[in-house]
Amino acid sequence: MKCRGFLFSIFVFSILSLTALAYGQDIPVGFFAPITGPAAADGASAKNAVELGLKEVNDAGGISGKKINLIIYDDRMNPQEAVAIANKLIEKDKVIGVVSGSYSAPTRVTAPIFQKAGIPMVAGYAVHPDVTWDPREKKPNDFCFRNGFLGEIEGAAAAQFAVKNLKAKKVSLIFMDNDFGRAISSGFADRAEKLGAKVLTKQMYKFPGEKDFRPYLTRIKEGNPDLIFAAGYYNEAASIVRQAKELGVTSKIMGEEGFDSPKFLEIAGPAAEGVVIATNLDRDDPRPLVQNFLKNYRKAYNEDADMVGASSYDAFMILVNAIKKAGTDPKAIQKALLETKDYNGLTGKISRFVQGEVVKPVQIQVVKGGKFHRLGVVDNPEIITPPTKQ
Amino acid sequence: MVRSNEFGVRRKRLRTQHFELRTKFMLWQQLANGIAIGSVYALISLGLTMVYGILRILHVAHAGIYALGAYVGLLSFRLVGNFWLSLIVGMAGAAVAGYIVERFLYMPLLHLPRIAPLIVSIGLFTAMEEAFRIVAGPHTLAYNARVGLGDLSIGSFHLTETQILILFVTFAVLIFLWAFLTKTRTGLAMRACAQDPETTSSFGVNVSRIIAINFLIGSAMAGAAGVLIGVYDNQVWPTMGSIPAYKALAIVVLGGLGNIPGTVLASIVVGLAETFFIGVLAIPFPRDAVAFVAMILVLMFKPYGLLGKA
Repeated sequence: MKCRGFLFSIFVFSILSLTALAYGQDIPVGFFAPITGPAAADGASAKNAVELGLKEVNDAGGISGKKINLIIYDDRMNPQEAVAIANKLIEKDKVIGVVSGSYSAPTRVTAPIFQKAGIPMVAGYAVHPDVTWDPREKKPNDFCFRNGFLGEIEGAAAAQFAVKNLKAKKVSLIFMDNDFGRAISSGFADRAEKLGAKVLTKQMYKFPGEKDFRPYLTRIKEGNPDLIFAAGYYNEAASIVRQAKELGVTSKIMGEEGFDSPKFLEIAGPAAEGVVIATNLDRDDPRPLVQNFLKNYRKAYNEDADMVGASSYDAFMILVNAIKKAGTDPKAIQKALLETKDYNGLTGKISRFVQGEVVKPVQIQVVKGGKFHRLGVVDNPEIITPPTKQ
Repeated sequence: MVRSNEFGVRRKRLRTQHFELRTKFMLWQQLANGIAIGSVYALISLGLTMVYGILRILHVAHAGIYALGAYVGLLSFRLVGNFWLSLIVGMAGAAVAGYIVERFLYMPLLHLPRIAPLIVSIGLFTAMEEAFRIVAGPHTLAYNARVGLGDLSIGSFHLTETQILILFVTFAVLIFLWAFLTKTRTGLAMRACAQDPETTSSFGVNVSRIIAINFLIGSAMAGAAGVLIGVYDNQVWPTMGSIPAYKALAIVVLGGLGNIPGTVLASIVVGLAETFFIGVLAIPFPRDAVAFVAMILVLMFKPYGLLGKA
């Protein structure tokens, strides 16, 4: 009995020392995404892409000899879950930086936790303003950075392209009832009206849950707009473009980054042809960084990469880049992130961060032959520079 | 000067006429949209009201049977590639599932207070949703079927292929149900059971067989609704039953619990009300609340539902 106890304690000790050894060598970086639950397709994209980046970094020898140890959690798109994950990452896993591959709701609740702990977080594609801004203290969460666009900015860029390039004079808006839907459509409507276009109708639909868009689209059809700006994620997006086609709506449809998913193309089928979107990934970008990523992603997962994957990959690489420059001290990493200048990112050249918000061009893509292709870029600084908050 | 002004007036009048014509077509279009979605509600709710009529159980898992019908239909469609066959397989799959639920879950609990089968039903519904997620994955699946009916277009009014399909199937099912309930002996026995199972039993009717047939028919209709919605929205997903689960309940109460014509009427009313709230009045009112508001309003004046009797 005694002997067994002794053996057991040796076993426990060796496990502990092995883990300690492992922790001593690796750089712990946290990651969370909705890997299961209603946003599982996006969660999988984000995880796959970040793991691809992790493999690239570690295969190339890691950061000054140390490998990155990516600690992955599934938030199930649930804010309560995300709070627990944030605390675990800080206290148990002792991470030095975090990448969010998740939506706004889980990301924004973790932002104050990482801010308080002084652990830098880079969000891949969460759009809510409160990720980088503390609404109570009225100051920026200066440990939190965002690689995706604010809803207002993406909406304004979409409107700029719709009115200036697609020559839309009458537009109708249909958008989901959540933060993202409201922010992006108000950005679109403001800019479109400023440029002289007329907004005929604005309709908000219930999210999640709406599947039958025919009543909305029939009303839009009555006004016969040149362009419909639609906001939603891939399921809603597919339903909207399909049902519009069924009802004989001939107006051009423009969407946003929520459309940017292979699932959208799959469910919408031929109805997706000609749909224009504002997004955060240019598939026809000739830079080797982009083309290699698209090629490697396809090779690794037998599926085309999407905006969510690319943005999460970028967020991870932005953090890695800062760790390379500053070492493993969270405060130093934050300083390196604040000093980011003309960073060559997968989703575009990032000129800098303004209060944690990225400054980079918005990509306009069009569906042609069942795939997304480049249609244009909106890089007008007046539009893409986020407003400084007080 | 004068001429151009005349032209202007005429052009304006023409434009107004054109707009009025457009609006007229739009109203017809919204009518078609509303009746189509209302028909699907009817197919789901009928099974629920029939079960309540005969067993006095709130069969929440009925919405799970509806989703199961969609999944079974989709599976057979992907295997064989024929929509009509997949509709029949989906209905058959749902009918079998409904029968199993009745035989092995509700029957053994009938001697208990009605809260027991209700709890079982809710538990089963949750379990079914999780089972769909585990087996078929969390993603939305496309039900990309070619029905082969074609659209009907008059001016800017479009009765789409899937809307024609829904109207056709619902109409056929309703005719069948009416003929079955009024023209056959089994139908007569079923109506008798709904009024008083014990007396019916004393006349030599096999009540448990009647209940089984009741579940088979009700579940087949829910399966048909699942397949139709799968094709109408081109989407089948694990939690597709969660909204119908409570909306159908409201519709059944609205129509008068256990009342079949009332349920059909209530379904169409709710479908039209939802569509007109959104598409004509453009009131930003949550769609899924319409059924409940309608239920409350009707119950205030007619406590037994639209066609219910005291």
